[in-house]
Amino acid sequence: MPVEIDMEKCGQIKDCPGEGLCIKICEQGALIEEDGKLVIIPEKCDDCDLCIQNCPNQAISKKS
Amino acid sequence: MVSVEREGEQKRSLSYRKNKCVGCGICTDICPTEALRLGPLVPIARGLVDMDYVNVDKNKCALCGLCAASCPFEAFEFKIDDINIKEHELYPKWTSKAEIDEEECLYCKACETACPRDAITVSRELPERSKLVVGEIEINEDTCIHCGICEEMCPADAITMNNENIEAPEISVDEDKCVYCLICKRACPVDAIKAACRSCSYGIYEINPEDAETKGYSFIDEDTCVNCGWCQEICPVDAATVSKPFEGEVIFAEEAECKGESCHACMDVCPCNAISLVDGKSVINPKFCILCGACAKACPQDRIIIRRDKINMENVRSKSWQKQIDKLVGVESK
Repeated sequence: MPVEIDMEKCGQIKDCPGEGLCIKICEQGALIEEDGKLVIIPEKCDDCDLCIQNCPNQAISKKS
Repeated sequence: MVSVEREGEQKRSLSYRKNKCVGCGICTDICPTEALRLGPLVPIARGLVDMDYVNVDKNKCALCGLCAASCPFEAFEFKIDDINIKEHELYPKWTSKAEIDEEECLYCKACETACPRDAITVSRELPERSKLVVGEIEINEDTCIHCGICEEMCPADAITMNNENIEAPEISVDEDKCVYCLICKRACPVDAIKAACRSCSYGIYEINPEDAETKGYSFIDEDTCVNCGWCQEICPVDAATVSKPFEGEVIFAEEAECKGESCHACMDVCPCNAISLVDGKSVINPKFCILCGACAKACPQDRIIIRRDKINMENVRSKSWQKQIDKLVGVESK
């Protein structure tokens, strides 16, 4: 099940303390920047959860 | 760089040394005042962010020194009245270490190549080649037509032809390089070369065995060595001995799924190059694992469990310290 982004917590990538760390850490290319915001491509997500673990805004999660 | 410093009855200071820290989190687990916080391991290890693995909260740190004493990598330096507790008789000492026996070492450099921390330097001085062969060689300048065939064929680059002066070309043999293989003699179209090899047959007795020895030295830099055991494992003559900081084992949580190629967080943080992917799942080679726990901290699936049975530390004099240090041992810590 792909991760979910809380857009309120995530905000604009330019404001991210990790400068879009999730995009850099995802080697599947499942997280991309579109118009300054984070977008997920669910079919590319491999559920490794590295983005969840490393998001400085704790904006990424999974439905439990 | 000093992280925390205070003066009272004693002057105490704690310094974090980023270059020695591997991000294992032993210090953050052991700190009794929760003054240490582990940064984002995987992004730091991958070079995606420039941060320290460990952050020290000056207001919480009680300057007890437990973090410095329990760090197997000496990433914290704790000083009391300017004396490093590493040198202090009242403080615990790690018994883990790595050594190369110079008597046994053949200077093959296998350890230097294998060391994941680039902590080993092997410097060697090769024997003189000319002392290991016996023979004679002579080129008859009168017969020689200076065709250069011998120069081109010589595998040791021992023959030099100089035909700048076309009227009087010169040819010479460097006897320090010549190994008397006789290729030149056989290839010479005009039989101008007289050469003989005596290395086999009785000539061997003219060679001094000491002249055949490769000399050198091997050096392990304690500052970067993590006692992972690669040198010990790879050494063909058992010249390297390593004792590790912990004894125990790594357990994989069966219910957790390794994401392999997609993640490889454990491989990126492992200071020992002990982890590889086999059939898409991470596997830890116990020969090289030091049970530091960095992989367990980095794994987003919580698949890796470190079980330490013994900590190779001595001279723990304080009961409260022993109690705290024992938290690293015997339990299955994440």
